[in-house]
Amino acid sequence: MPVVVDPDLCNGCYNSRQPPCVRMCPGDLIVKDFNTNKAYLKYVEDCWDCLPCVKACPEEAIRFQLSYQMGFYSAALQPHIHKDRQHITWTLQHPDNRREEFTIRTKVLEVALDEKVEGEPAPDFSI
Amino acid sequence: MPASPPQPTQPGRRAPEAAPGPQAPVIERAEQGTINRVVHEADVLIIGGGTAGCLAAVELRERYPGVSVMIAEKAHVDRSGCLAAGMNAINAYLNPGETAESFVRYVRFDSCGLVREDLVKSQAELFEYAVKKVEGWGLPVLTDENGNYAARGRWNIKINGESLKPILAKAARDAGAKIHNWVVITDLLVSDGRCAGAVGFSLRTNTFYVFKAKATIVATGGAAGLYKPNNAYDAQHKTWYSPFNNGAGYAMGIRAGAEMTSFEMRYVALRTKDAIAPTGTLALGVGAPMVNARGERFMAKRYAHLGGDGAPTPYRAFGPIEEAKAGRGPCYLDTTHITEEQASQLKTAYLDMYPSQVLYWAANDVDPMKQPVEVQTTEPYIVGGHCQAGYWVDADRRTTLAGLYAAGDVAGGAPFKFVSGCWAEGIIAARAAGAEVQGLAAPQIDHRQTAYHYQRTFDPLFNYGKVKYGVRPYDMEVRMQKIMEEYAGGASNHYEMNEERLLLARKYMGQLPDQFDQLVVGDMHELMQAHEVMDRVAVGQVLVEHLIARKETRWPAFQTRTDFPDRDDLHWLKFVNSRMDPGTGKIEVVFRPYEQVVEGDRYHPGEAPGKKHPAPRPAAPPTPPSSSPKSGG
Repeated sequence: MPVVVDPDLCNGCYNSRQPPCVRMCPGDLIVKDFNTNKAYLKYVEDCWDCLPCVKACPEEAIRFQLSYQMGFYSAALQPHIHKDRQHITWTLQHPDNRREEFTIRTKVLEVALDEKVEGEPAPDFSI
Repeated sequence: MPASPPQPTQPGRRAPEAAPGPQAPVIERAEQGTINRVVHEADVLIIGGGTAGCLAAVELRERYPGVSVMIAEKAHVDRSGCLAAGMNAINAYLNPGETAESFVRYVRFDSCGLVREDLVKSQAELFEYAVKKVEGWGLPVLTDENGNYAARGRWNIKINGESLKPILAKAARDAGAKIHNWVVITDLLVSDGRCAGAVGFSLRTNTFYVFKAKATIVATGGAAGLYKPNNAYDAQHKTWYSPFNNGAGYAMGIRAGAEMTSFEMRYVALRTKDAIAPTGTLALGVGAPMVNARGERFMAKRYAHLGGDGAPTPYRAFGPIEEAKAGRGPCYLDTTHITEEQASQLKTAYLDMYPSQVLYWAANDVDPMKQPVEVQTTEPYIVGGHCQAGYWVDADRRTTLAGLYAAGDVAGGAPFKFVSGCWAEGIIAARAAGAEVQGLAAPQIDHRQTAYHYQRTFDPLFNYGKVKYGVRPYDMEVRMQKIMEEYAGGASNHYEMNEERLLLARKYMGQLPDQFDQLVVGDMHELMQAHEVMDRVAVGQVLVEHLIARKETRWPAFQTRTDFPDRDDLHWLKFVNSRMDPGTGKIEVVFRPYEQVVEGDRYHPGEAPGKKHPAPRPAAPPTPPSSSPKSGG
């Protein structure tokens, strides 16, 4: 599985109908389960490994690892957005537990916890 | 209501539900009659809020403040399309000393002598304007000690573009474009021979949309997923090109009868093994040459007459394919000379664009300082930003369908666009569309047309519970990929094809549209998948016609005809175009002449400022190497 939402860390962004990970996935692959109040990758096989979901998660609850066929399972890569939103630090965990860190300049815009979807409009059959 | 939802016929494909509990409340099993119909109207509709679409929106609103603009986007504009993961370089820029003309010379050389020079030139003229604009919105662009943008190769500059896409989206929003996220456009509207907008459906609400517009800019990107992907199962979308770019923009234009060009110039990318990450970061970033399993610099050895490691892009894919065929694979980009600092910079560069490459190295115990980086070639893509497949457009990016413009990867004839060229085309199309809509009346749309599209849009959903032995979108996708892979030059056939195989591809691809009415889906996400596969089939059918039509090998690997293995300027220095008759569904191929705009040798890359190009000018026009296959593959 390319990205995995850790159910212990995910809080569903509280009452959010459209949490950041759900909104930012370019493939519409992540959904929120309103019974457990947690998000999960519903269409695992369609993931592109592009990571907007991982970067947008305010709880850093989404783990990025390679599909097993791509290499050893225990390596992981986690981005962290700095408070100034001008830098991102990536922590790379090697299978031997060695860690590497890379800090890069960027400009990360705020991602709101929820966003109104253009809602159920009044029926209009007059086209 | 049916007793149980239709089951996937490929049990291996659907991974077990990742999380326990019932499904989230996406709209499941919508029934006819519960779907709302909503009409939105604006002066200009932009289909696809990506690289080209966002710049088009901003340009329109800045230049023509009175013009209303709406964007229909399949995902969320903040992270949609090719730039979702970010970018680490702008790969089409005029560094000091270069001109639009020198860019045309290089792109013409790189495209084996055949390109729409007028389009390439006009995009180059806007590189600086576009890049400066986006830099002004907050994109970090790296500079050198002289204050110039930091170059990475002849046409490239370095950026920290991890957040490039949200920056573009914010600019479009701030400019006042009305953005409709999660709207899947299924077809164009045509009224009195003019494009009058588009129709689509919402992934989030039970809504059928009619977007009425005086002018429409299509900017949906190219097409991935036509051929078998490089990886399988839960890594089937580990592709280089965005797997969510399914060629929808091509397909809706094909169905509306717009003229398409050069689909046969497929893009087969040279990428890192498995991770399928771009190789420019290695080749240009740290000067890594390609070597084969024996450590030979085979490009310099066997393709010196074409420029060696600087040979045109098709040959940089063709070279390693031929090495592997001759038993000298795998091939590598040799990074073993780099310093520790360079290795760190390399990883940093990939994190800005393709983070999984860095994870892949860690997971597989690969240190690029000690071990060369293995490369492979990808599934063939159709993408007008790297190659030339797309709408046939005029200088204003106006398509052959009045009122419809094309920009970015969906527009044809102008390769080497990458990010900045897509920006430029969005700007060009916006300027022309903004001028055109002045004083134009809103289009009138026939009720019967919207009724037809409503039915076509939701048919797979309405089939739910009615069609007993239906076809799931994924099953059709696999069938289509199998046909294209085996008969139309897939990776497993070394990308080679001949007339006999292509005629079989034509036959079997032609059977798929007859099965569209058997597609069955259970929710809006699956409905999107159904339209994606129908669009891919339309693109694939046109692609096959183009491959059949060009009876030469102009771009080895991209288009290797084993029955016509040589380039033939005498007969084929022209564009293969096509148009589908919307009435009969028949695809007609026509030819358009090539026009040289910039003087000079069409097979020479031009001189880079300040230094001679390493490749000596060949005495005779270069032909594919003699090792090229002669027999049907």
